[in-house]
Amino acid sequence: MEYVSPEGLRLDGRRPLEMRQLRAELGAVSRADGSAVFEMGNTKVIAAVYGPREVQQRSQHLNDKALIRCEYTMANFSTGDRMRKPKGDRRSTEISLVIRQTMEACILTHLMPRSQIDIFVQVLQADGGTRSACINAATLALADAGIPMRDLVTSCSAGYLNSTALLDLNYVEDSAGGPDVTVGILPKLDKVTLLQMDAKLPMDIFENVMQLATEGCKAVANYIREVLIENTKQLENRRGV
Amino acid sequence: MEAKPSSTSPSTFVDQLVVPGDVILDLSSMANQTIKLGGGLRQDGDSISVMKAGNLRFTKPNKYWVESSHKRYVPNAGDNVLGVVVDTKPENFLVDIKGPALAFLPVLAFEGGTRRNIPKFEVGTLLYVRVVNANTGMNPELSCMDANGKAAEYGVLKEGYMFESSTGLSRTLLSSPPYPVLEALGKKLSFEIAVGINGRFWVNASQSSTVILVGNAIQKSESLSLVQQKIYLEKLLKNIQ
Repeated sequence: MEYVSPEGLRLDGRRPLEMRQLRAELGAVSRADGSAVFEMGNTKVIAAVYGPREVQQRSQHLNDKALIRCEYTMANFSTGDRMRKPKGDRRSTEISLVIRQTMEACILTHLMPRSQIDIFVQVLQADGGTRSACINAATLALADAGIPMRDLVTSCSAGYLNSTALLDLNYVEDSAGGPDVTVGILPKLDKVTLLQMDAKLPMDIFENVMQLATEGCKAVANYIREVLIENTKQLENRRGV
Repeated sequence: MEAKPSSTSPSTFVDQLVVPGDVILDLSSMANQTIKLGGGLRQDGDSISVMKAGNLRFTKPNKYWVESSHKRYVPNAGDNVLGVVVDTKPENFLVDIKGPALAFLPVLAFEGGTRRNIPKFEVGTLLYVRVVNANTGMNPELSCMDANGKAAEYGVLKEGYMFESSTGLSRTLLSSPPYPVLEALGKKLSFEIAVGINGRFWVNASQSSTVILVGNAIQKSESLSLVQQKIYLEKLLKNIQ
């Protein structure tokens, strides 16, 4: 199948190096301590953060740092065919773990010992790149909750189809079977916290693709930064400071 | 919190909106001066970086902190807070102050408190208390006495109703000049209010309708601009006459 037309356009009309439209909103869940909705094109994810609060299970109690828990779920209506998925299947357990580890790398857990932070992410619409979207949503929700962080983690994916490196794969491109590289970075510190790839790639091409994904992460970081600043500004204006 | 040498010129980021990861000061280019860091800032080697989204504040001669508004509270010694009794232990009352851990209120931390006259608090009692100790790794310690050992204003809040707010709203309610909404309500109605910096306020009046009106007006005013607040209050106060 042709994923990049001779004119250099992808199936959804993007250029190979083009990202999908981003949209983010803070404070979507009123009950949560911090929450956010993050959209990358047709992928839509909602994240809610509770805590830092008392550890609920005594056995999980950590004396030197905060306990981070993460739960990833996909809404039944999020994919094309409506399916009732069992909770805690392999895929969602794996993604929960990935998100947890990525967020743990940026949260200053040693500042809140003996407490617990819960992150819940739910995919409302899946169109490829849910992993990245979930991480971006979780970052925003954590920032909204005011949890101390080293930096804002951002994530973006890139792939390689028809001998072209493609940024931010959608569902069709994702399921083409080509390599899919998901990268998560700390933009200010310039450190990689997440790197995943299924399938194989030659070394030199992999470097190109990863470079592309990193650039994507930086673009997301700029957008997230703007959203956060806009939100803080609104909070201040409203209070008439 | 910490002391480190710095230059004479304050950072260019002062009074700007900052997000986690921003580096606001570079200590390597500074000589022989001490700076003090407040909430939301941390030292990372030779630089001072931000860990919470908010507004960077600076007061002469050398204090820096990030001002932000959240739903959770970070206990600090000397803060006046509203706490809810959760449990009673032989030595302490366990009090929820919206922090990462439950706070301890020693049973003797009352004016003239002895083993003989330990107050009896039921679960759910609302208290106006002072944070005495807030060290990481320990539960915060509360007291119902001021620094001179007098009961002052601290103690049980009987009747009335407690409302939740953000920490930012609490801070504005306590700021001077007084919050315009509070001032306008106070001119028309007679009520009692206690504000905890941890994002809770308690209102009491002779009529419950006044309590509801004041509580709702304050909660609602947070999401309004100064002009909108004025219009909203005018409408509200006209209706009650």
